[in-house]
Amino acid sequence: MPNPKAIELVGIAVRAATAYQRDDLLDRLKWTAERLADPGARVLVVGEFKQGKSMLINALVNAPVCPVDDDVATAVPTEVRYADQPELVLIEQAEPDAPRTERRSVPIDHIAQYVSDTGDPADRSGLRHVEVGIPRSVLADGLCLVDTPGVGGLDSTHGAATMAALPAADAVLLVSDAAGEYSASELEFLRQTTELCPTVCCVLTKIDLYPRWRRIAELDVQRLRAAGLATQVLPVSATLRTAAIDHQDHGLNAESGFPALIEYLRTEVMANSGRLADRSAAHDVLAVTGQLTASMTAELAALRDPEGSAGLLAELARATERVDKLRTRSARWQQTLSDGVADLTADIDHDLRERMRGILHEAELELDAVDPVTIAEQFADWLRRRVAAAASANFVWTNQRVRWLSGRVAERFGADGATGLPVMRGRRQGPALGRVAEFAMPEAESFGFGQKWIIGMRGGYGGTLMVGMASTLAGLTLLNPLSIAAGVLLGRKTIKDERKRQLQRRQSEAKNAARRYIDEVLFQLGKESRDLLREAHRMLRDHFTQLAEELSRSLTESTLAAQRAVKLDETDRERRVLDLEAELARVDHLAATAAELAESAGFRSVTTDSVESEELG
Amino acid sequence: MNSPRALLGRVRVVLCQAIGLYDGPTGLLLRKQLDRLDGPLRVAVAGQLKAGKSTLLNALVGEQIAPTDAGECTKVVTWYRYGHQPRITLYPNESAPIGLPVRKVDGALRLDLRGLAPDAVDRLLVDWPSANLRETVLIDTPGLGSASAEVSGNAVRFFSPEAGPADADAVVYLMRHLHRTDIRLLESFHTNGIGQPGPQGNPLATVAVLSRADEIGVGRLDALQSARRVAERYRADDRLRVLCGTVVPVAGLLAQTARTLRQEEFSALAALSTAPRAELDAALLSVDRFTGASPELAATLGVSAAARAALLERFGLFGVRLGSVLVRQGFGEPPALAAELVRRSGIDLLRGVLATRFAERRDLLKARSALQALDTVLRNSPRPDTEGVRRMVEHIIADAHEFTELRVLSMLRAGRASLPGPTGAEAERLLGGSGGQIAARLGLPRDAPRAEQRAVVLAALQRWQALAEHPLSGRAFVDVARVVIRTCEGIVAEVS
Repeated sequence: MPNPKAIELVGIAVRAATAYQRDDLLDRLKWTAERLADPGARVLVVGEFKQGKSMLINALVNAPVCPVDDDVATAVPTEVRYADQPELVLIEQAEPDAPRTERRSVPIDHIAQYVSDTGDPADRSGLRHVEVGIPRSVLADGLCLVDTPGVGGLDSTHGAATMAALPAADAVLLVSDAAGEYSASELEFLRQTTELCPTVCCVLTKIDLYPRWRRIAELDVQRLRAAGLATQVLPVSATLRTAAIDHQDHGLNAESGFPALIEYLRTEVMANSGRLADRSAAHDVLAVTGQLTASMTAELAALRDPEGSAGLLAELARATERVDKLRTRSARWQQTLSDGVADLTADIDHDLRERMRGILHEAELELDAVDPVTIAEQFADWLRRRVAAAASANFVWTNQRVRWLSGRVAERFGADGATGLPVMRGRRQGPALGRVAEFAMPEAESFGFGQKWIIGMRGGYGGTLMVGMASTLAGLTLLNPLSIAAGVLLGRKTIKDERKRQLQRRQSEAKNAARRYIDEVLFQLGKESRDLLREAHRMLRDHFTQLAEELSRSLTESTLAAQRAVKLDETDRERRVLDLEAELARVDHLAATAAELAESAGFRSVTTDSVESEELG
Repeated sequence: MNSPRALLGRVRVVLCQAIGLYDGPTGLLLRKQLDRLDGPLRVAVAGQLKAGKSTLLNALVGEQIAPTDAGECTKVVTWYRYGHQPRITLYPNESAPIGLPVRKVDGALRLDLRGLAPDAVDRLLVDWPSANLRETVLIDTPGLGSASAEVSGNAVRFFSPEAGPADADAVVYLMRHLHRTDIRLLESFHTNGIGQPGPQGNPLATVAVLSRADEIGVGRLDALQSARRVAERYRADDRLRVLCGTVVPVAGLLAQTARTLRQEEFSALAALSTAPRAELDAALLSVDRFTGASPELAATLGVSAAARAALLERFGLFGVRLGSVLVRQGFGEPPALAAELVRRSGIDLLRGVLATRFAERRDLLKARSALQALDTVLRNSPRPDTEGVRRMVEHIIADAHEFTELRVLSMLRAGRASLPGPTGAEAERLLGGSGGQIAARLGLPRDAPRAEQRAVVLAALQRWQALAEHPLSGRAFVDVARVVIRTCEGIVAEVS
């Protein structure tokens, strides 16, 4: 729910900026207002497959929105959000290269057909995700739960896709059942997750079934702490929750652990996302009032002390000069930024190449040892898996480095002038391997009986002729036992050689195919990561340039106002002082309200510093 | 068919020759292989962490010997073999073996590493007087994919030793669901020798178990049907067929408890079964409800809180649900209840599968392990005078019809030689795909009379001869058919 106080505050700020004709500030405020109006929080429900993710969501919203089965797993991400009427929308992309996705509404009771890992996969071809809308109060505040296909399922190539969705999520629920403590792969996944999305909560499911779930929870916490993660663990039982709703039993509901989970979603996730919105709104309003008061304070000072105005004007001139320097391309922050991005591009490209080279090397060793045709399928699968893993590791690293760089630039900018960090908007996409054509093992040359016969005969013919000719000298006929034996021997040798040659050729063809595949991956991913960096570069540059421009405009206005003030006569001056004081009081009040809001929104942020603060607990 | 015996004899001869050529550690290694030929079959229980390996091992032995816990428990490779006296020996990596005192805590054996780190221990050896261990040595392994690398490392070293041959002849692989990691691990067994007769992969030395089968259906009463359905789907999965012989669902905990059912546990279940249905169902909604300490609950259910907690620990929620229902349905005596629980747990099915797939092929599997070890030695430390031995090894691998059968079987399963529909299934069966005994190969009941066996095999022989000579049969088909014909001929000789 958007905070009415924050909306009102931004409204006043918009009116003030309009009154002072500062359209440059209006743009920023408009964006702030938009963000405030839609404070929804996307919560990704992730985990290994068959741990009860879909069941968890169903129990949370008390409706069978995600199909649950003992055997069949979820195959397509499902977004569950609020709607007045139950609805199901499919988001499809006709071809992998199509630039746009299409939305199609279908009856809600068909969901299993599209979402479950069963039935006709053709139904799911091109399906990116589905959106389910249902009227539930839990979701009314803009909470959006995303059920993801489990990591590690046999047919899921979804691991990388889940990874890619993480930066755009406001929070992540990692689901694992109480059958056993965390495995190495779950911990690794969790570690990567916290790097991309700092608000993470571990949910321990099926506690109704495992007598020793308390001990498992304890062990999980130990494992988390040992890995340096401060994430909390919430034990829940969807079965108990469902029974509690059926019987309207509050005690049972409390036992199910769901109240704690809902509380977490409300206080930590929703409130945090609301707080973040409030805080950035307050921050924006404060920045705007700062710019507004600048010219007024300067004018007031000049009015009150006309003699000292020369000194004031000189100071303003110096400030203008300083800010103008920030605006030039040679400003230090600009250099830090462009150097940083250049370094980053090189590093990330190198990292990607290094990883791919490693994979290729392993692949070649593997291919040298076997006949490629016999392992075609496993090899393609292995290669795809390794490449996807490398791509997501590279992606995580890129995100971290970009965040670090924006901190550095802000520091530079702050050291030189004003402060303020841009709100990084998460990209809704990650490494897109989808565009890379699948790896295909080259077909084996057929070496059928007919061919073998021809090749064998060719060799045998030569042998027979050779020995036969020689033996004619000894008075034997051309076809004698000796020459035939030689023919057979040579024929067999030719077939053997041919077989060996074909194996070598298959191996080298397979290696070439692997190389081409890696090249293609490098090409696509390289472009992706360069695009990502370019986008980040542009965003940071625009953000700080705009800041510098606002500052500059404020200073120009201040200078003008001060100059005007010097020229006024006594009576006009007194009236103007009164006017200005009243105006200033109003703007100051606005600033005070904004400061209050910022204070109440606290400092739980989801920007750069939160990764460290999460770790410190 | 007694030709595996003959095969074993030939392997023994070639091993002895090789031992004569090598001395030092290599010779010792080969001598160990010779001992292995005379010893029982070694079956390793493998799987990811918390797959229920120790529990299943206990269920197979029928006694609670391997320690089990909610957290990760087995940290070092532990061998359980038959011995007249219970005895535990710890083999550290660096020093001499240490004898450990045999102690039981709460019915389970206490294994203590004497303060050694798990990766400093090579293995634990438990000698135990149990009839079920006479024919096979069971090897419990730490969970693969454990969060502590040193524990996983022990298992990895066991299955893919850097030097020397693998220690297990066959593997029972446990999984909760078929995870992609499971496929990868099963594949690694293949590339690392356990599944290989000579150069080809062999799915027949591996059986996959859908352990904790009761949890697939989250403990509902029909959970095991669900598990059977899942197992069926896995059995048909091409990727899995290549890697393991079959997939069996087993409720491990239930099996372990049922095989060691105690009188007081039966009494508790009987008391529960007489409690009012509504109250019992409400209490069985969750583990916390069931173990609630309130005196009213104890009065309604007729079982004290402590006894209920103990019951839950041994049976699991599913076991308690099933047990109380069964008692109500008339399994009113401990032996009857235990038998029914054992039947339902699926453990007998697994024992049957292990008997047909491993125990009956014991000689073949052992011969294969020995040849593999010998092959590794000859490859790694070749000497001019070992050429003859090497040729003999190759000859045995190429010549023994058993190995040919295995090769063709794995080719069929991998889909590299596909036969149309029922013909493929019949070929797999005749080649011993579902058991090496003659009756199993012919698809007849175990006690079928000889005359019937003879009639069936002669019919099969004729059919396959006709197929092999059919002008439209492809080359690959004829190759398979020839092997099948030879198998049939062997059976004919056997039953005549």
